Amino acid sequence: MSESFRDSVGRKVVSRQSAKELGSVSHLLVDAGQRRITAVVIGRGKKAQLVDWAQLSGFGPDAVMVVDEGALRPPSDDRERAAAAGHLELVGKRALSERGNELGKLDDVTFDADTGVLEDLLIGARRVHAGSLLGSGSYAAVLNESQEH
Amino acid sequence: MRLLMTASQIRGLPVVTVHGGEDVAEVRDVIYSPEAGRLVGVTLNKRGFLAGRSRDVLPAEAIHAIGQDAVMVLDESNLVAPEDAPEDVGNPATERNVLEDDILTEGGASLGKVADLVLLVGSSGEVVGYQIDKAGGGRGYIPLPAQLSVSGVALVVPNITEEFVQDDLVGLGAAVDEFRTRLGLT
Repeated sequence: MSESFRDSVGRKVVSRQSAKELGSVSHLLVDAGQRRITAVVIGRGKKAQLVDWAQLSGFGPDAVMVVDEGALRPPSDDRERAAAAGHLELVGKRALSERGNELGKLDDVTFDADTGVLEDLLIGARRVHAGSLLGSGSYAAVLNESQEH
Repeated sequence: MRLLMTASQIRGLPVVTVHGGEDVAEVRDVIYSPEAGRLVGVTLNKRGFLAGRSRDVLPAEAIHAIGQDAVMVLDESNLVAPEDAPEDVGNPATERNVLEDDILTEGGASLGKVADLVLLVGSSGEVVGYQIDKAGGGRGYIPLPAQLSVSGVALVVPNITEEFVQDDLVGLGAAVDEFRTRLGLT
């Protein structure tokens, strides 16, 4: 099933094992090279925690289910710390072509809720296949040059 | 698409990694070789709260692309210390600076002084013209041949350059090819 980044933010995160609510989705961490979501960030700032995509039992329409509470972990490297601080948010990021020209703002990203694979990038009125995403970071999401008009 | 930019438009552009999406530096100045007729690299400033002069340089070969909004590199390893860069980038000769140089035709007429460089951006970084302060006043643009004689105070251009003085960058874009074709024929 197709899901969107924008719709996912704020969704509650629940432990499958204990049925306890662990928090809510603040951010989805992406590996642009692999074109997939690698982790879900829960909460923001110093209290933010991550859960790896592989530790989810389901990314559902009403809740994101985590296998158990033990799967939650603090950020482990600079990139994850940047994600926890909210710096890597894809939605709202400037979209830049690899030729160094701005294409607009990234309004939303859709993904397959079963696999975490990114599907489309929405830039203004344009819908672009996520295969053109080359990299993403705190400054920009970089798309391949075929996305220039 | 042919995109021309002046060096002053390139100064201050962020340097962004294609694979990381991070702004790892910004352009402080361009390093230009008049003999080669192209950009050989750029010097850098740091961004963010460490802002200020950076020691590192970016050789032209390591530039993925120059666009209107950013200079793109594949990753941060493309930024190198001056001693690890080619000699003309790491330790550029100061007489390479052509700004304020008098532009003389082969026939001995002065067209004005060099105000800025005009680059063909994208991936080549070729310098295809100069913005000039015209001898008679006002700004203009002249196309350049692929190679040029430069002394440090003056540079010599073909006589026909005088016919190709343009009022704006758009005009220059169209004039460069015709100018070079004419030079090839004469």
